[in-house]
Amino acid sequence: MPMVMGTQRNPADIVAKTLKWFVLIAFLVFTFFPLIWLLISSFKTNLELQMRPFNFPEVWQFQNYVNAVKLSGLPGLFVNSVLVSTISTALCMIITSMAAFVFAREKFRGQEMMLNLILAGVLVPIIGLMAPYLRLTYRLGLYDTLWALIFTYSAINIPISTFLMHGFMKTIPAELEEAAVIDGASFYQRFWYVVFPLSRLGVVTAGTFVFLFSWNEFIYALLLTSSMESRTLQLGIRFFTSQFFTDYTSMFAAIVLTIIPSILVYVFLHEKIIKGLASGAVKG
Amino acid sequence: MIVQSGSNRLGIILFLTPVILLFAVYFVYPLGFVFVTSTLDWNGVSTPEFIGLRNFIDNFQNHTFQKSIRNNFIWLFALGFGQITLAAGVAMILARRPRGWRFLRTAYFLPNVISQVAIAMMWKALYNAEYGALNQFLEIIGLSGWTHNWLGEIGTALPAVLIQQVFYIGYFMIIILASTMSIPESFYEAAQIDGANVFQQERYITLPMLVPILVTSTTLAMAYGLRHFEATFLLTDGGPANSTSVMGIQLYKMLKSIDYGHANATGATLVILGIIVIVVIRSTFGRAVNAGEAEQ
Repeated sequence: MPMVMGTQRNPADIVAKTLKWFVLIAFLVFTFFPLIWLLISSFKTNLELQMRPFNFPEVWQFQNYVNAVKLSGLPGLFVNSVLVSTISTALCMIITSMAAFVFAREKFRGQEMMLNLILAGVLVPIIGLMAPYLRLTYRLGLYDTLWALIFTYSAINIPISTFLMHGFMKTIPAELEEAAVIDGASFYQRFWYVVFPLSRLGVVTAGTFVFLFSWNEFIYALLLTSSMESRTLQLGIRFFTSQFFTDYTSMFAAIVLTIIPSILVYVFLHEKIIKGLASGAVKG
Repeated sequence: MIVQSGSNRLGIILFLTPVILLFAVYFVYPLGFVFVTSTLDWNGVSTPEFIGLRNFIDNFQNHTFQKSIRNNFIWLFALGFGQITLAAGVAMILARRPRGWRFLRTAYFLPNVISQVAIAMMWKALYNAEYGALNQFLEIIGLSGWTHNWLGEIGTALPAVLIQQVFYIGYFMIIILASTMSIPESFYEAAQIDGANVFQQERYITLPMLVPILVTSTTLAMAYGLRHFEATFLLTDGGPANSTSVMGIQLYKMLKSIDYGHANATGATLVILGIIVIVVIRSTFGRAVNAGEAEQ
């Protein structure tokens, strides 16, 4: 990429420069303006929201946030989301790293076919499977439980997680294991003491994706649960409109509260998330 | 590569069983279920009766379903061509490392980590006819004639839902940017010496090199267009007058009215269309991809 540019100034370069900043700023405004508007509005009274839409609030209404927590049952929703996301991520990472280890290190008949079959799962439009998932969940006696979501989210992420873990484990040099084998390490010890610890980075990358998926998932939370007890954050947001009725600014406060954890995670992990996405892209 | 001793048949079986079990239960069985039940007259408890392609024919003759499938294709093109074009444009700009490009890259991706549900609720507020920022902004700048009940009018609802989604380019921008940045700098230096301006450099150097990743991204984006559900469900629930409905919404509604046969015919249509999109894109652009890879 040319880092030193603009040594010669021709008209096309000037057009390019103007266009460049116009585009970059337009997208920046599109990305941040709605979020900032939501944040500032969440501190207003409902009258101010109508009358002075683009001003700062006269008095910052922290009461909105108190209302938000009280009305929406946010703490319960939050706990459910944390439980579902962490358990499904852990389950998915454990089983897919075990499978990826076998696919990356062992040889057996039908191995290639089996791996390709699992990876092809990425292409399945999961939304088309609503009916069987609903039936399956009923049959397993899991309807309206957190376990319904945990198993569904783990399973949906098997293809992508196997893909990432398999790709990662392939890059770990086999010499390290050969040394362990000479020292008499068994199959299980090779996995547990050599390959799994060396795959930490892969687990973090794949795990972040599974976690974000589970945290943000909506369709199956909508379909497979019904009561307040097993409601996740995303599903809870949907009910804000009826819970808050015409108290819009308190509803905004509730929405802001649901967004904060995602933004915090992103602030800490954005390098990993972006690198994970980018490396997947380069590998094709 | 393969470590022969220390491997173990029982271990292999033990390590594969959980994944195979879950995969069979959540992928293989549901796919089979969808295809089999799509040919049945069945409400989940009645005695199933084989009726061939009747459910599919019913669906395709149903006016709402026709609208939904049309809207799915609008989504497919809006994301596959619209969003990818925007994402590629921004990626090409950022690849030249303008001031603050790292920050911009991180910033543009931010909405992608926020849930679709929260984003949709935010846009519902922005588009709101009474207190929404969009109408209020139009009134302030003296364009009160342009105000609309954005999500409630047939003419504006679909564009409104589409735009809030298409402009969130972060995901594909990151993927395309990574590929753009792997193009060797020397290519551009040579072109600059030959007097090529920025646009010519992008057109004749960057774009051809990006073909493989653009094909992959387009395929993915189109698949998302077919799967689209959340934003529409939350912003308009398919309305007004089904003008924004998509197949996912119809599937959900059929399921709620325990119409298993038609629901699964819809599910099967989604799966089949998904495969067709991938095959069509791959075979249309396959040669271009191979050429691009050969160049790299």
